Amino acid sequence: MPLARTYSVALIGVNGQVVEVEADIANGLVGMILVGLPDTALREARDRIRAAIVNSGEEWPQRRITVGLSPASLPKRGSWFDLAIAIGILAAAGKVPRAAVAAIMFFGELGLDGRLRPVRGVLPAVAAAMDAGFGRVMVAEQNAAEAVLVPGVRVIAASSLTAAADWLRGLPGPDGGPAAAEFDGSQELSHARATGAQAAIGGEVSGGRAGRVSASDAAMAPDLSELLGQSMARRAAEVCAAGGHHLSLLGPPGAGKTMLAERIPTILPRLDTAAALEVTAIHSVAGTLPPQVSLLTDPPFLAPHHTATKAAIVGGGSGIILPGSASLAHRGVLFLDEAPEFAKDVLDALRQPLEAGEVVVARLGVMTRFPARFTLVLAANPCPCAKMAGPKEGCSCSPATRRRYLGRISGPLLDRVDVKIELEPVGRRELLSDRAFAESSRTVALRVVQARDRAAHRLRGTPWHLNAEVPGSELRRTWSPAPGSLAAVERSLERGQISARGVVKVIRVAWTIADLVGRARPTRDDCDAALGLWLGVRR
Amino acid sequence: MSRGMARLGEEKLARAALTYLAEPGDPALGALLEICEPAEVLAAIKANMLPGTGPGCGDSPAGRAALDRALGRWRVRLPTLPDDGGIANACREGIRLTCPGDPEWPDVLDQLRQARPYALWLRGNADLRFACSRSVSVVGSRAATGYGGHVAGELAADLAERGWAIVSGGAYGIDAAAHRGALAAEGITIAVMACGVDYPYPSGHADLFQAIAAQGLVISEWPPGCHPARMRFLVRNRTIAALACGTVIVEAGERSGALNTARHAADLGKPLMAVPGPVTSAQSAGCHRIIREWGATCVTRAADVIEMLSPLSVPDALAPGGLGPVFTPGSGPPGSGPPGSGPPGCGQAGSGAGSGSVPSRDDLDADTARVLDAIPTRGGAGTSTIAVGAGVDLDTVLRCLGRLAGYGFIERCDRGWRLRRP
Repeated sequence: MPLARTYSVALIGVNGQVVEVEADIANGLVGMILVGLPDTALREARDRIRAAIVNSGEEWPQRRITVGLSPASLPKRGSWFDLAIAIGILAAAGKVPRAAVAAIMFFGELGLDGRLRPVRGVLPAVAAAMDAGFGRVMVAEQNAAEAVLVPGVRVIAASSLTAAADWLRGLPGPDGGPAAAEFDGSQELSHARATGAQAAIGGEVSGGRAGRVSASDAAMAPDLSELLGQSMARRAAEVCAAGGHHLSLLGPPGAGKTMLAERIPTILPRLDTAAALEVTAIHSVAGTLPPQVSLLTDPPFLAPHHTATKAAIVGGGSGIILPGSASLAHRGVLFLDEAPEFAKDVLDALRQPLEAGEVVVARLGVMTRFPARFTLVLAANPCPCAKMAGPKEGCSCSPATRRRYLGRISGPLLDRVDVKIELEPVGRRELLSDRAFAESSRTVALRVVQARDRAAHRLRGTPWHLNAEVPGSELRRTWSPAPGSLAAVERSLERGQISARGVVKVIRVAWTIADLVGRARPTRDDCDAALGLWLGVRR
Repeated sequence: MSRGMARLGEEKLARAALTYLAEPGDPALGALLEICEPAEVLAAIKANMLPGTGPGCGDSPAGRAALDRALGRWRVRLPTLPDDGGIANACREGIRLTCPGDPEWPDVLDQLRQARPYALWLRGNADLRFACSRSVSVVGSRAATGYGGHVAGELAADLAERGWAIVSGGAYGIDAAAHRGALAAEGITIAVMACGVDYPYPSGHADLFQAIAAQGLVISEWPPGCHPARMRFLVRNRTIAALACGTVIVEAGERSGALNTARHAADLGKPLMAVPGPVTSAQSAGCHRIIREWGATCVTRAADVIEMLSPLSVPDALAPGGLGPVFTPGSGPPGSGPPGSGPPGCGQAGSGAGSGSVPSRDDLDADTARVLDAIPTRGGAGTSTIAVGAGVDLDTVLRCLGRLAGYGFIERCDRGWRLRRP
């Protein structure tokens, strides 16, 4: 029977679904048809695969070839089905043993000369294959290091269609060794290095999304202690890192807003394996993984430019739907510098991910979900001219302009921000005084990890892990601070310095401060410290 | 000036109709109303006939011509004038009208003579005449700095706590801060609008106006539904100045509209006060000018304002505690410092709004007192500077600063933290 089955994976966002590729060779008009909702890139596969097979020295069956991708109702996009289809045709023609192809997931794009090209999204695809019970995957050599990140998988790294077919046939390669290297996670290091060194991932893949800054760049690793003279701001960053609170920074240019935001990832805990796999999968789909592929264990930091579009921030695009900055910042920091300059609809589009922790992009026939649980850091100048409201020669903004400028950040978005601070320009005296208090990122990160552990322990049995996630109603009902500890806060409320909603935020931040010092419940000291952070903005 | 009570119904309707026809502050109409009944004036306008003349009104050829022009001006709006039923309808939904001679009409407006409002539209629950009898207008720039907003709020709250009503406009900045301060102290506050009382302008203050109407009054010379216009704010300012016993300018630039209110207050012979600001601040330049050139009194706290107004205002019988439940019980005779109470935070959380239980400096714990001592009297200091000065660590200084800010000892400024005036 001239029918063969191979398997590949269709990606919807960062979720993969195993796709069965059936190749049938029958009598009839010579040609090849592809069925099962292929998109343009996939329909082009027909010509690519024919050229690849012929140029690899294999024989193209001069009969009618039907290739079906099922489930047929699932829209399939992308070029990585090439390998599965080509191997399926060879198996159907009897050139490759059918038994050898059955338990392997194929994932790769073919060049016209038969070379196997690397593609995006290997990590989530391999993870989906593992979940579906495939223990072995075959990918391009350059993708092998990424594929092997999935625990327990055996990876076959082939350089070309010839190598892949020879490996399946059990034939040796041209140099006498195995036609394709097979290895698993235990050999990860040596092979990842070996393949990584030659991994020249195509420019269109690693072109990178604008604004990504690698926090792991050891040569110039930023440190929190460099932010001298801004003790309040450093403390606010620590609180935000520990409680997962979103942060808003207001201040004139040069006060250190960007510097502070860039240093928040250095005090966030390193990602655990599950989180690191999530983050790496998102970056794999977006094609922003560095060539030296390894698991991304540092919290990502993304600072999109304020001209970014909605699709660039929350994800989207036609054809293959790509994650936006909000998802790339998953488990890390999304920094919106000059926040009022962002388009209003872009800012408002962030409300859904802030609420749900994921982005849902709906397109015809498919809903794509990307995780997006990030710490939002907003920075703004007090007014568009950024000269500070001073006497005549200073700020030239009209009152309406100033109001409108900060008013562009909508209320519902600001409602999600628990900590707001103002950075003032630093004087010499403050710089000198602050030397006694500057702590390194390491020291602070240690406290943050402990505080997060305490919060997680306290919140066990609830849907939440971080203080920032606890809703206000729950905070009032279950997690109220010690009696009498809100005296100053209430006095402040009476004086109109703080709103009722502000009180809830102070209590939420007070819990984080209590976690940081290891107290079981916020006391008056913690509430007053939280109030200090809240009143740290002129109004 | 008192008019026959029997004709009040007809007179009220006529005055309401006149608010639709003529812009407030029209001297021609003001002069006419001094010699004719409102109903006569209205009938004359409708009939396109010149009403009678009298002293100061059409008794010269030039005056007669001016009256002619005015008549044409008023008749332009005749087609848009609602009928009596429509006017009566406008008085529903919590909106009411008060006219000269009504029990609620504040007699102080009579000082405006020909520029006196024809009638006032009110929305809210407070009694206008009573509220105005002990009131201060707090006005200033829309582009208020943090300092100005803070001072206005504090001043208004302290005045309201001592039973003084606040009168102001409805704009952003100082006006809003003053209203909010008074509302926070559960005092009476009056917003004088330059448009209909049901028209929230600026719209960002719709909620604020709602809160003011619930606790105080939103009033206007313009009929409901009327839109604001640039000149109307200047016309409105004379009412703010006339209603209150005295006027405080908190922050005003060189060309601020608040200076127009100040000019009206000065013209009416009312006490004019100004809160000084940094001499480098353009936002306070107007305040400094009226202190220097117009002899405005420099005030820095509620006690200063009360001291300025009390001898000229109603007698002490109306002092807090001396009369019924209308006033929030004050914290003592005006001018005395806030009474010391128990140490802060010793279990008296939730002791009620406006109770005024401000801890004194002596009640603070040792660390907090040291931190307070380390905050410079002039200018501001950064957090770390204060910590070094007080000899405490960063955690301690942060919680002490929070506590001090919460109790109102200190505040944030553009150079860090600074002492707040008591």
